[in-house]
Amino acid sequence: MTPILEVKNLTYTYGGNSPFVNDAVSNVSFSVKSGEIIGIIGHTGSGKSTLVQQLNGLLKPTDGSVLFEGKDIWENPKEIRKIRSQIGLVFQYPEYQLFEDTVFADIAFGPKNMGLSGEELEKRVYEICELIGIKEEYLEKSPFDLSGGEKRRVAIAGVMAMRPQVIIFDEPIAGLDPKGRSDVLKMIKDYLTAYNATVIIISHNMEDMALIADRLIVMNDGKLVAFDDTDKVFLNPQMLRSIGLNVPIVTRVFEQLKAKGYNVPNNIFTVQSAVEYLMKLKREGEHRD
Amino acid sequence: MIKDITFGQYYQTDSPIHRLDPRIKLVLLVLMIVFLFLAGNAWSLIFCGVMLFAAMLVSRVPFKMYLKNMKPILIIVIFTSIINLFYTDTGVTLVDWWIIHITAGGVYRALFMAFRIAQLILLSSVLTYTTTPNDLTDGIERLLSPLRFIGLRGAVHTLAMMMTIALRFIPTLVDETDKIMNAQKARGADLESGKLFERIRALIPILIPLLISSIRRAYELAEAMECRCYNGGVGRKRMKQMKLKLRDYIAAFLCLAVSAGVLLINLLPNIPYVD
Repeated sequence: MTPILEVKNLTYTYGGNSPFVNDAVSNVSFSVKSGEIIGIIGHTGSGKSTLVQQLNGLLKPTDGSVLFEGKDIWENPKEIRKIRSQIGLVFQYPEYQLFEDTVFADIAFGPKNMGLSGEELEKRVYEICELIGIKEEYLEKSPFDLSGGEKRRVAIAGVMAMRPQVIIFDEPIAGLDPKGRSDVLKMIKDYLTAYNATVIIISHNMEDMALIADRLIVMNDGKLVAFDDTDKVFLNPQMLRSIGLNVPIVTRVFEQLKAKGYNVPNNIFTVQSAVEYLMKLKREGEHRD
Repeated sequence: MIKDITFGQYYQTDSPIHRLDPRIKLVLLVLMIVFLFLAGNAWSLIFCGVMLFAAMLVSRVPFKMYLKNMKPILIIVIFTSIINLFYTDTGVTLVDWWIIHITAGGVYRALFMAFRIAQLILLSSVLTYTTTPNDLTDGIERLLSPLRFIGLRGAVHTLAMMMTIALRFIPTLVDETDKIMNAQKARGADLESGKLFERIRALIPILIPLLISSIRRAYELAEAMECRCYNGGVGRKRMKQMKLKLRDYIAAFLCLAVSAGVLLINLLPNIPYVD
């Protein structure tokens, strides 16, 4: 089976032929299977955003190529807008890109640019709203009257309504409260299951990555440092710390426990699994008494 | 692409002109512009050009940068030159064919005007390349401060503050525009093709978010300024006190010498055959 998205030796150089040449992304290769959730982590300026902007053709790679379903996305530069509706990109703070006078019109902007109209367009918008829980009475409101979390939800819906097979999120949960964060993560998962889509998420939040990502791409200085299952990446805290990242907080708690002499495992990455482990210990302790 | 727009074109380096007091630089710029226009014959204009060339050398800004500034004005230079070439009727006739009538005076006027406009632009470039926008507005504020005697103290400060803030936020807004453009492109917006009317319509998804975020920024900035007890410059002192130094007096003296030179050279007879 061909991977849905394949990146080969991707290099992006800022500054062209000026003296300030700077490789924002250098020689990155990886491939993504259909239905996966891929996380991209790396500290600020490690080239994550530059990388994902090349995946949907907003930036043209200086070198290397991006293959979508086995075909180079730049094979026909005139078709690049079509690629952008198949590989969706939700930017950081997407609520700042809202502009229409109703929520409906804003969500419809993307599908309309794809050439949809009339009933088909309406169906798209209603379908996505139902999937991610935007109430119908919201559709006639102005997007500027909504709260921050609701705006974010509408903005994400605007990209999802194009029904891309691959959808990329740049820091989708930045600046949201805990409720908003779990809402957004749920939206992403719902979309994935409903349309059998592939998801790529950039995040600084290791806890959420542990929760949601199947595999992690670790970026540092424009280079791909690691690409492996999430668990395996988090089992290597030295590597993460050497490039200014860290493992989830709960993993650090278990590290501290281990340092204090308790015999605890080092593969606890989510609060959920920590609770399960501790409850198991408790039950075993009660049995022993 | 939008990032290529440069504004507040300060060129970072260290030169005697960079170190001058911005007030002196502003006053001397005005003085030199006046004398550039007082230069009445070819010799004095050439003298101005030589002096300007010397100043450009001293500024240590690469000539490529100065040339870049000339580009947008080129069309105006050519236009005025052509007008002058055909509509001046003094001196020896060079070409007289059909409706075209070119005289030595015309050629002279055309070249004279082109050279003068070019010098004007380069002269102002020397100031903008060697002075940061903030120093420039500071300098303007100080120069306008005598207006406080006619009850305009607050207005001068407010004006200068507005200019400073506007300059400060240009790169921020350029950045923001870039981001919004990319976000709308990711939603399939077509910004590159279509007829004029469609293209203008295509700007709406960019302009509205930009406007809203500017207003939001303005509110945030106003609140941040109020939190730091900003109350419009009353009783406010500067961290950087401006004080004229020896080099400022030397610069002033040199410019006055150039001015005197222009007046003296104006007394020489102009080049022949043009009047």
